[in-house]
Amino acid sequence: MSTTTILLQALLNGVASGSIYALIALGLSLQFGVMKIINFAHGSLLMIGMYLAVWATRVLGVHVLVMIPIVTVVLFVIGFFIQRWLIEPIYRKEATREPLGVLIFTTGLWIFLDNMMLILAGPDYQSLSGPWANQVVIFGNLIFSYPQIAAFVIATLVSGALVLTLRSTRIGRIIRATGQDREAASVLGIDSAKIYQLSFALGLTPLGVAGCLLLPLYPVNPFVGDVFGLRAFVVVVLGGMGSIGGAFWGGILVGIMESVGAQLMPVLVTEALIFAVFLAVLYVRPAGLFGLEHE
Amino acid sequence: MKPTVHRWAGAIASALSLSALLAGGAVAAEPLKIGYVIPLSGSAAAASGQEMSRGTHLAVKHINAAGGVAALGGRPLALVEVDSRGDPKVGITETERLITVEKVPVMIGAFQSSVTFPATAVAEKYEIPWIVDLSAKADITERGFKYVFRPTQIPSSGNADSVVDFVAWAGKRSGSMARTAAIVFENTDWGQDLAQRMRARLKELSIEIVLDEAYPPNAPDLRPLVLKLKGRAPDVISVTSYTADAIQIYKLIEQMQVDAVAVIGSGAGQVDPSFINAVGKRGVDLSFTTNGWAGYESAITTPFAKRFWDDYVAEYKSEPSEFSVVSYSVVWLLKDALERAGKDDPKAIRDALAATRMEGNEVTKLLGYDVVFDAKGQNVKKRFVVQQIADGKYHAVWPESVASPNYKMVWPEPAWSARK
Repeated sequence: MSTTTILLQALLNGVASGSIYALIALGLSLQFGVMKIINFAHGSLLMIGMYLAVWATRVLGVHVLVMIPIVTVVLFVIGFFIQRWLIEPIYRKEATREPLGVLIFTTGLWIFLDNMMLILAGPDYQSLSGPWANQVVIFGNLIFSYPQIAAFVIATLVSGALVLTLRSTRIGRIIRATGQDREAASVLGIDSAKIYQLSFALGLTPLGVAGCLLLPLYPVNPFVGDVFGLRAFVVVVLGGMGSIGGAFWGGILVGIMESVGAQLMPVLVTEALIFAVFLAVLYVRPAGLFGLEHE
Repeated sequence: MKPTVHRWAGAIASALSLSALLAGGAVAAEPLKIGYVIPLSGSAAAASGQEMSRGTHLAVKHINAAGGVAALGGRPLALVEVDSRGDPKVGITETERLITVEKVPVMIGAFQSSVTFPATAVAEKYEIPWIVDLSAKADITERGFKYVFRPTQIPSSGNADSVVDFVAWAGKRSGSMARTAAIVFENTDWGQDLAQRMRARLKELSIEIVLDEAYPPNAPDLRPLVLKLKGRAPDVISVTSYTADAIQIYKLIEQMQVDAVAVIGSGAGQVDPSFINAVGKRGVDLSFTTNGWAGYESAITTPFAKRFWDDYVAEYKSEPSEFSVVSYSVVWLLKDALERAGKDDPKAIRDALAATRMEGNEVTKLLGYDVVFDAKGQNVKKRFVVQQIADGKYHAVWPESVASPNYKMVWPEPAWSARK
């Protein structure tokens, strides 16, 4: 293969992998934007989503793509109850200051979920190896797997739909208003507790998609969330905390840096480079590359 | 969790045997405690740790069922198992506790070199013998310690030697020597050690290294690395990875149709029981891996080995691998030493371990190598074999002495376009 072909393949691979990072980061960004909390359990909830997909596929025997809506709905429900029963009481106690307790709570939830799954599912790696997952499309010298293509298409659709919902629908405006100023929104008759439940639950739904699309390549075990949780955090900061569009472009950017960078320099240097860019952005443009100064 | 259940089962079993003895009027034999440090949670290594723990528990069960340690008046063994969580600090404090509070006269563990290395120093301080299971860090036996024994592992340089020796052997045998190689390894002590030795040995054979690449372990996306591999088109690809990364790399090699004469793993991720199923049969077919253990066809040849295999499968619903074979054998090795020591004094156990000479018995047949320690406590007979995966099974192909009798090696591997 020529160098040009390799670089082109690397670029497009980067876009596909970046789409998955974007999906994972979307929810984190949404939760931060509305509730001003960093959900450290985000990666673990991705892991839960991946297990749900593995189990449901075994029980129901349906296609990975059919699994996506099922896992998404289940995660939405889980998210709703986590917010309703676990996070909300902390908010109520700490109504007058920054919700630091929630930060600590999500860290605890992260460790709890990882170890709970270790007990329930055992430490072995589990995977979905359907014929679909290994199928490839070949254009000339370029090879793409079905999950790669699906990741790009679905990530674009989901991000677009979320951005549109937040910008142009009534509920979207309510969510954004609550995010901008919780007190003022309450004065206008918005039930912020309800909006938080909705936002937290909504934030988990892209994880269902990401989990199902990761599974064909990336086996799940109880600690898989740690890897992607960290990556999502980098993406969110790069893209602009709280910005949905920013999370999308941040994901794609990290994917491309990782993929194209690795062809030009050692993989380890690429990895360091991503975090160097992350630090530089925090320093020079704390609102993120794609975030607005006031959002 | 499983181990807890077994601890209970063990307690009940020993209580039963105790009451049986009391009923017979004999003096009750108090169980001989074995301290066992192993990662059961907390990190990715927990998967392997749990598997090792299973083998250890099964050995204790078998030994106790057969009457315990005869030379100690039929004393049963009792495991005092602690979860290291893969954390060296936990390993150190738990070792201290096992020795000073539980008063164990002997220790086994702790799978990960990062835990074993400092924890063995604690045991050395208290003069409690420690049998190292699978920790490969060379320095573990290089500190002039008198109480450390490593029967079932050699430093990772030995693993790299096996890869290169096998490539040379297969090249000579087929008449076409590999000209280029790629070394892909996780960026840890273990990966670095292996890569360093491999580089030096490949140079001796004048094989050109066209890609020499470390990657961060548990990487979210290894596609860029595999693409790089495809671009360099090496004859031999050496993959030194734990399970998650290995699964990803082999799936990508298949998807991206990276052709090579041979893909050779270093027997960590590639021998994990979930590896073949997770990648799928096609993706791993005809790839090679080193292994500390030669596999069913070569090693399960005695009634002793057969009982181990059958009971393990019945109890845990999965097949043993090197992890459980080693942990099972280590307990039998300890029993052998206890029989010769004749008392539960740590010093006596240490001396008996040092004098171990296990050759051609049922335990060494299961392991595939003899056990004789040098002055440092390192078993000089341990070595790695090379296996080829075919139709979802591991077949030993090298060295010829342990090669599976019913399997014919395929070299070079066929191109992906020529596979079904």
